[in-house]
Amino acid sequence: MKNVYVRIGLVVIATALSVWVIPGVDDAVESVFQILVLIAST
Amino acid sequence: MLILKRTGVIGLWLLLIFSTAVVTAAYKQRFEDGPNRVFSGGPLIAGELYRGAEPDWAFVNDVSTLELQLLSPAQSRRIWVASVQGKMYVWSGYMNSFVGQIWKSWPAQAERDARVVVRIDGIRYERRLVRIKTGAVLDELMAVVSKKYPSRSSGADVESGNVWVFEVAPRAAADVAEGVGS
Repeated sequence: MKNVYVRIGLVVIATALSVWVIPGVDDAVESVFQILVLIAST
Repeated sequence: MLILKRTGVIGLWLLLIFSTAVVTAAYKQRFEDGPNRVFSGGPLIAGELYRGAEPDWAFVNDVSTLELQLLSPAQSRRIWVASVQGKMYVWSGYMNSFVGQIWKSWPAQAERDARVVVRIDGIRYERRLVRIKTGAVLDELMAVVSKKYPSRSSGADVESGNVWVFEVAPRAAADVAEGVGS
Protein backbone atom coordinates (compact mmCIF):
# COMPACT_ATOMS: atom_id res chain seq x y z
CA MET A 1 0.00 0.00 0.00
CA LYS A 2 2.87 2.33 0.88
CA ASN A 3 4.31 1.63 -2.55
CA VAL A 4 1.12 2.96 -4.15
CA TYR A 5 1.39 6.27 -2.30
CA VAL A 6 5.00 6.63 -3.42
CA ARG A 7 3.96 5.97 -7.01
CA ILE A 8 1.13 8.52 -6.76
CA GLY A 9 3.54 11.09 -5.37
CA LEU A 10 6.07 10.47 -8.12
CA VAL A 11 3.42 10.73 -10.84
CA VAL A 12 2.08 13.98 -9.38
CA ILE A 13 5.57 15.50 -9.14
CA ALA A 14 6.57 14.37 -12.63
CA THR A 15 3.33 15.69 -14.14
CA ALA A 16 3.54 19.04 -12.34
CA LEU A 17 7.16 19.54 -13.37
CA SER A 18 6.40 18.64 -16.97
CA VAL A 19 3.57 21.15 -17.16
CA TRP A 20 5.60 23.86 -15.41
CA VAL A 21 8.88 23.46 -17.31
CA ILE A 22 8.13 22.23 -20.83
CA PRO A 23 6.93 25.15 -23.00
CA GLY A 24 3.47 24.76 -24.47
CA VAL A 25 2.31 21.92 -22.25
CA ASP A 26 0.34 24.25 -19.98
CA ASP A 27 -1.37 25.76 -23.01
CA ALA A 28 -2.24 22.32 -24.37
CA VAL A 29 -3.64 21.24 -21.00
CA GLU A 30 -5.76 24.39 -20.84
CA SER A 31 -7.08 23.72 -24.36
CA VAL A 32 -8.20 20.22 -23.42
CA PHE A 33 -9.74 21.53 -20.20
CA GLN A 34 -11.60 24.23 -22.13
CA ILE A 35 -13.00 21.66 -24.56
CA LEU A 36 -14.18 19.47 -21.67
CA VAL A 37 -15.85 22.47 -20.02
CA LEU A 38 -17.56 23.38 -23.28
CA ILE A 39 -18.81 19.82 -23.74
CA ALA A 40 -20.02 19.66 -20.13
CA SER A 41 -21.85 22.97 -20.39
CA THR A 42 -23.80 22.09 -23.57
CA MET B 1 -12.91 -9.27 -14.80
CA LEU B 2 -9.16 -8.75 -14.76
CA ILE B 3 -9.40 -6.61 -17.88
CA LEU B 4 -12.06 -4.43 -16.27
CA LYS B 5 -9.92 -4.00 -13.17
CA ARG B 6 -6.85 -3.06 -15.18
CA THR B 7 -8.86 -0.63 -17.29
CA GLY B 8 -10.18 0.98 -14.14
CA VAL B 9 -6.70 1.30 -12.66
CA ILE B 10 -5.35 2.85 -15.87
CA GLY B 11 -8.32 5.23 -15.92
CA LEU B 12 -7.58 6.34 -12.37
CA TRP B 13 -3.91 6.96 -13.23
CA LEU B 14 -4.91 9.01 -16.27
CA LEU B 15 -7.40 10.97 -14.16
CA LEU B 16 -4.66 11.69 -11.61
CA ILE B 17 -2.27 12.85 -14.33
CA PHE B 18 -4.86 15.07 -16.01
CA SER B 19 -6.07 16.55 -12.72
CA THR B 20 -2.52 17.34 -11.68
CA ALA B 21 -1.79 18.88 -15.06
CA VAL B 22 -4.89 21.10 -14.91
CA VAL B 23 -4.17 22.31 -11.38
CA THR B 24 -0.53 23.01 -12.27
CA ALA B 25 -1.41 24.86 -15.48
CA ALA B 26 -4.02 26.96 -13.65
CA TYR B 27 -1.57 27.80 -10.86
CA LYS B 28 1.21 28.64 -13.32
CA GLN B 29 -1.07 31.07 -15.14
CA ARG B 30 -1.39 33.14 -11.95
CA PHE B 31 2.23 34.25 -12.50
CA GLU B 32 1.67 35.35 -16.10
CA ASP B 33 0.81 38.79 -17.47
CA GLY B 34 -2.93 38.29 -17.87
CA PRO B 35 -5.16 35.28 -18.41
CA ASN B 36 -4.79 32.74 -21.17
CA ARG B 37 -8.17 31.27 -22.14
CA VAL B 38 -10.06 29.94 -19.13
CA PHE B 39 -7.46 30.12 -16.37
CA SER B 40 -7.09 33.36 -14.40
CA GLY B 41 -3.85 35.23 -14.80
CA GLY B 42 -1.78 37.71 -12.85
CA PRO B 43 -1.87 41.51 -13.04
CA LEU B 44 -2.02 43.16 -16.47
CA ILE B 45 1.46 44.62 -16.94
CA ALA B 46 2.10 45.05 -20.65
CA GLY B 47 0.41 47.63 -22.83
CA GLU B 48 0.03 51.38 -22.94
CA LEU B 49 -2.09 52.89 -20.17
CA TYR B 50 -4.88 54.97 -21.72
CA ARG B 51 -5.05 58.52 -20.38
CA GLY B 52 -7.37 60.32 -22.81
CA ALA B 53 -11.04 61.25 -22.78
CA GLU B 54 -13.70 58.61 -22.22
CA PRO B 55 -13.91 56.62 -25.49
CA ASP B 56 -17.07 55.61 -27.30
CA TRP B 57 -17.01 51.95 -26.35
CA ALA B 58 -19.10 50.81 -29.32
CA PHE B 59 -15.94 49.31 -30.82
CA VAL B 60 -15.90 46.55 -28.18
CA ASN B 61 -18.86 44.94 -29.95
CA ASP B 62 -16.27 43.88 -32.53
CA VAL B 63 -13.93 42.50 -29.85
CA SER B 64 -14.49 38.89 -28.80
CA THR B 65 -13.21 39.20 -25.22
CA LEU B 66 -11.34 41.56 -22.95
CA GLU B 67 -8.92 40.97 -20.11
CA LEU B 68 -10.23 42.25 -16.78
CA GLN B 69 -8.07 42.59 -13.68
CA LEU B 70 -9.30 43.43 -10.22
CA LEU B 71 -6.95 45.38 -7.97
CA SER B 72 -7.94 43.25 -4.99
CA PRO B 73 -7.12 40.45 -5.52
CA ALA B 74 -4.72 41.30 -8.35
CA GLN B 75 -5.90 38.58 -10.68
CA SER B 76 -7.16 38.80 -14.22
CA ARG B 77 -9.59 36.82 -16.30
CA ARG B 78 -10.85 36.80 -19.89
CA ILE B 79 -14.53 37.69 -20.17
CA TRP B 80 -17.17 38.65 -22.67
CA VAL B 81 -17.95 42.30 -23.29
CA ALA B 82 -20.63 44.34 -25.03
CA SER B 83 -21.48 47.98 -25.54
CA VAL B 84 -24.81 49.81 -25.51
CA GLN B 85 -25.29 53.55 -25.96
CA GLY B 86 -21.53 54.07 -26.04
CA LYS B 87 -21.00 52.47 -22.63
CA MET B 88 -19.15 49.22 -21.92
CA TYR B 89 -20.62 46.35 -19.93
CA VAL B 90 -19.35 43.02 -18.60
CA TRP B 91 -21.40 40.37 -16.87
CA SER B 92 -21.31 37.05 -15.10
CA GLY B 93 -23.95 34.36 -15.44
CA TYR B 94 -25.01 31.34 -13.37
CA MET B 95 -24.80 33.48 -10.22
CA ASN B 96 -27.78 31.77 -8.56
CA SER B 97 -26.44 28.29 -9.21
CA PHE B 98 -24.24 26.31 -6.84
CA VAL B 99 -21.51 25.94 -9.45
CA GLY B 100 -21.64 29.63 -10.27
CA GLN B 101 -21.29 30.65 -6.65
CA ILE B 102 -18.15 28.53 -6.35
CA TRP B 103 -16.67 29.26 -9.75
CA LYS B 104 -17.56 32.94 -10.24
CA SER B 105 -15.77 34.73 -7.43
CA TRP B 106 -14.83 37.93 -9.24
CA PRO B 107 -18.28 39.60 -9.19
CA ALA B 108 -18.45 39.50 -5.38
CA GLN B 109 -14.82 40.63 -5.20
CA ALA B 110 -15.67 43.52 -7.53
CA GLU B 111 -18.47 44.61 -5.23
CA ARG B 112 -15.95 44.86 -2.38
CA ASP B 113 -13.36 46.78 -4.45
CA ALA B 114 -14.70 48.02 -7.76
CA ARG B 115 -11.40 49.25 -9.17
CA VAL B 116 -10.31 47.31 -12.24
CA VAL B 117 -7.92 47.47 -15.16
CA VAL B 118 -9.16 46.23 -18.51
CA ARG B 119 -6.93 45.48 -21.48
CA ILE B 120 -8.38 45.62 -24.95
CA ASP B 121 -6.21 45.11 -28.03
CA GLY B 122 -3.10 45.67 -25.91
CA ILE B 123 -4.25 48.98 -24.38
CA ARG B 124 -4.96 49.15 -20.64
CA TYR B 125 -7.79 51.24 -19.20
CA GLU B 126 -8.22 52.03 -15.51
CA ARG B 127 -11.88 51.75 -14.68
CA ARG B 128 -14.33 50.79 -11.95
CA LEU B 129 -17.24 48.38 -12.10
CA VAL B 130 -20.71 49.69 -11.29
CA ARG B 131 -23.32 46.97 -10.88
CA ILE B 132 -26.54 47.51 -12.82
CA LYS B 133 -29.51 45.65 -11.34
CA THR B 134 -32.48 47.23 -13.10
CA GLY B 135 -33.28 49.53 -15.97
CA ALA B 136 -34.32 49.62 -19.60
CA VAL B 137 -30.69 49.31 -20.69
CA LEU B 138 -30.61 45.68 -19.57
CA ASP B 139 -32.97 44.39 -22.27
CA GLU B 140 -31.07 46.37 -24.88
CA LEU B 141 -27.78 45.02 -23.57
CA MET B 142 -28.98 41.42 -23.49
CA ALA B 143 -30.22 41.77 -27.06
CA VAL B 144 -26.72 42.82 -28.10
CA VAL B 145 -25.24 39.97 -26.06
CA SER B 146 -27.54 37.40 -27.67
CA LYS B 147 -26.48 38.56 -31.13
CA LYS B 148 -22.80 38.51 -30.26
CA TYR B 149 -22.51 35.36 -28.13
CA PRO B 150 -24.32 32.02 -27.70
CA SER B 151 -26.20 33.41 -24.70
CA ARG B 152 -29.93 33.66 -24.12
CA SER B 153 -30.03 35.76 -20.97
CA SER B 154 -32.62 38.50 -20.58
CA GLY B 155 -33.16 41.58 -18.48
CA ALA B 156 -35.30 39.45 -16.17
CA ASP B 157 -32.29 37.18 -15.51
CA VAL B 158 -30.35 40.23 -14.41
CA GLU B 159 -33.15 41.47 -12.15
CA SER B 160 -33.45 38.00 -10.58
CA GLY B 161 -29.75 38.07 -9.72
CA ASN B 162 -28.82 35.12 -11.93
CA VAL B 163 -26.77 37.42 -14.16
CA TRP B 164 -24.68 40.18 -12.64
CA VAL B 165 -24.10 43.09 -15.02
CA PHE B 166 -21.48 45.75 -14.46
CA GLU B 167 -20.88 48.98 -16.33
CA VAL B 168 -17.16 49.50 -16.85
CA ALA B 169 -17.26 53.14 -15.81
CA PRO B 170 -14.58 55.82 -15.47
CA ARG B 171 -12.84 55.87 -12.14
CA ALA B 172 -13.14 58.71 -9.66
CA ALA B 173 -10.01 60.87 -9.54
CA ALA B 174 -9.03 59.49 -6.12
CA ASP B 175 -9.23 55.93 -7.41
CA VAL B 176 -6.96 56.72 -10.35
CA ALA B 177 -4.34 58.17 -8.01
CA GLU B 178 -4.29 54.86 -6.06
CA GLY B 179 -4.38 52.70 -9.16
CA VAL B 180 -1.81 50.79 -11.12
CA GLY B 181 0.51 51.99 -13.82
CA SER B 182 0.95 55.48 -12.40
